[in-house]
Amino acid sequence: MSATLEKGLNAFKEVIDTPIASYFSSCVHCGLCAEACLFYNETGDAKYTPIHKLEPLRRVWKQEYTLLGRLGKLLGLAKPVTDAELTEWEPLVYDSCTMCGRCSMVCPVGNDITYMIRKMREGMSASGHAPEDMKGATKRAVEIGSPMGIKWPAVQAQIKHVQAETGIEVPVDVQGADYLVLMSSMEIINFPEYLSAISRIFKQAGVSWTLAPDAFEATNSGIQIGASDLAREIVSRIVVAAERLKVKCVISPECGHAFTAIRWEGPNLMGKPFGFEVKHILEVLDELRLAGKIKTRGKDKRPLTYHDPCQITRRGGVVEQPRHLLGEIAEDFREMPDAGVMNWCCGGGGGVSANSRAEPLRLEAFKVKKRQIESTGVHTLITACANCRIVMEEGLEHYHMKVEVLGLTELLAEYLVEGE
Amino acid sequence: MKQKQMMDALPGTVGEGLAQRGVDRREFLKFCTAMTAMLALPPSMASVMAEAIARARRQSVIWLSFQECTGCTESITRSHSPTLETLIFDLISLDYHHTLQAASGAAAEHAREQAMKDNDGKYLLIVDGSIPMGDPGYSCIAGISNYDMLVETAKGAAAIVAVGTCAAYGGIPKADPNPTGAVSVSDIVKDKPIINVPGCPPIPVVMTGVLAHFLTFGSIPELDALGRPKSFYGETIHDRCYRRPFYDQGKFAETFDDEAARKGWCLFKLGCKGPVTYNACATTKWNEGTSFPIESGHGCIGCSEPNFWDAGPLYKALSMPVSGTGSMLGTAAAAGAAVGVAVTWYNRSTKAQAKAAHAKVTVQELTREEK
Repeated sequence: MSATLEKGLNAFKEVIDTPIASYFSSCVHCGLCAEACLFYNETGDAKYTPIHKLEPLRRVWKQEYTLLGRLGKLLGLAKPVTDAELTEWEPLVYDSCTMCGRCSMVCPVGNDITYMIRKMREGMSASGHAPEDMKGATKRAVEIGSPMGIKWPAVQAQIKHVQAETGIEVPVDVQGADYLVLMSSMEIINFPEYLSAISRIFKQAGVSWTLAPDAFEATNSGIQIGASDLAREIVSRIVVAAERLKVKCVISPECGHAFTAIRWEGPNLMGKPFGFEVKHILEVLDELRLAGKIKTRGKDKRPLTYHDPCQITRRGGVVEQPRHLLGEIAEDFREMPDAGVMNWCCGGGGGVSANSRAEPLRLEAFKVKKRQIESTGVHTLITACANCRIVMEEGLEHYHMKVEVLGLTELLAEYLVEGE
Repeated sequence: MKQKQMMDALPGTVGEGLAQRGVDRREFLKFCTAMTAMLALPPSMASVMAEAIARARRQSVIWLSFQECTGCTESITRSHSPTLETLIFDLISLDYHHTLQAASGAAAEHAREQAMKDNDGKYLLIVDGSIPMGDPGYSCIAGISNYDMLVETAKGAAAIVAVGTCAAYGGIPKADPNPTGAVSVSDIVKDKPIINVPGCPPIPVVMTGVLAHFLTFGSIPELDALGRPKSFYGETIHDRCYRRPFYDQGKFAETFDDEAARKGWCLFKLGCKGPVTYNACATTKWNEGTSFPIESGHGCIGCSEPNFWDAGPLYKALSMPVSGTGSMLGTAAAAGAAVGVAVTWYNRSTKAQAKAAHAKVTVQELTREEK
């Protein structure tokens, strides 16, 4: 079995639904989406205009689902979508789109362009036009269990370290716990502070939680590459574990697209409502704060700013929570320009960070974040997505900027009042 | 965009005038970006427009006011003050406008003649108000009838902008029984490009938009069948109305003070003419984007459409079509519905076939087999 153009074109036909048909027919070609896109904005290259990235999908819609288009196709006037064209479009659909959703925000007729890119990737991946690196990551996610090839023993090793460091037992496979905590591969490999912070905060707040050996990975490469069949398989692991352990709520970690995958796409992929809630860790922490269950002492003296991860803020609606939490522990919190729902993407979302071919473009696009950070004058940057964090660390390194990047959960844990 | 200091201001250009008034390039570019968006031009045109306008000689403009109420002048000169629009407006060379100019009598008319002579074939003529074709004495300026003045001044104009519904379509003076025999500019002038900017009054930014377009491209923007710039009059108020979702859900206010009106439901039943009125009120709004009639709780009266005053009572719902009889409409509706059903059915089958042809994607199938 192999990817073929026919499979790709069939997938295009399959994903075109009522919203997509109405989006294409109501586009007024105003071009406002161009200036919302960080890739257009930093390069000035018109091919990065978001709606243009959908051109092959638009033609399939026209030729298959409109009267005039079908007539044109019948008379041989329509230009068919070819393999060569999809090859040309691959970098537009994958390398230069982080699915950050900024274009969808500014569209005057309300077209959700990001939604269309997500759907278009179904056809791109089915026709073999996904970037090699993303194919590799997806293969590892499906076959090994994590896009970075991590297995449960690696998590166990981390649990041991955390237990030794904090003296707190990390619960595993606890039936009937309130929360099932997930992690992203990046947190397991690069940011062990996350698990340690969660253990300490949850201990203080008296939260009953657990990890699951068969569902520790929150990320979903199937969503990024655009293969719903695979995305469903990956998300079903979490659903099965949550149902097996009978938890009330699954916590999506500091990772952007994982939240989209589980919270928004998950039930649609599974074709049924979940029997449990899905929350982002910042939502849970803010609820605990409101309930007075998190006690902190002192405030961070460093000037700080916060980078909004697109999938958590713009696409996920978690906007105020990080501000509330930072209000508790930061003395000099400074918003960057365009903060909140219109913040700029780090440049590495939607699978772009996993795609080494896109690196030069990604670093070019990082210039907007560089300007944002510089305008605040801070040297400490807080965020709530491990992928944003890695991407920004690379960008800061590339541009020789002395800025430290921290996760909000771990920063919060530093100011906990413990052992009293 | 590259940060330059203020544009390389050549003497006598708009750029120089802006520099003198302390308008910086950033503010000017912001204006041009907003303009390009409103005119539905590609974003890259913003800087082109900025260059073009900055370098343009101040455009000579002659403004003639005929049978009008001065509402158009009020709208255009006062409502946006003191934003950049007004500055640019100041920076055109407004050579004749009998409401605004200081000169009067013979000196005023001399200014008009001088401008016509100096800029022959190049000046822009703006007209507000309709022209009486009955007794010339109904409306004249300095002893010259409106008709004679329009014909004389139009001769040397590069283009004519008919501002307000009166100049564009005859407006209220033309309302039944039309005692003065009022007609529009386009009824008289046939050999010049005419841009209609209707509205009672028109939105100020539409006016500045047309001017910006003229200064940038030296041509007039794309017009619709009624001579209106498509970028502003391309869609109905109804299609862009924030109360549209209520219309779609069949939620209507029945009186102006019922619960539904307080909840902001659709004003269709109270006579709103939004569905048949092409204008930009719902998007650009009025008074620097503050509000527009529907947002203030009153239906649209359709003031930018020809013969709006005679198009039925203002508070009667638009439940009947303006033209066409029932039987024809019935047949058309039935035919339309049948086509709709057929297309939907066909599209559904296309999608169902695609679904049936879906082969489950596995990891191996993400890659092409080597040939």
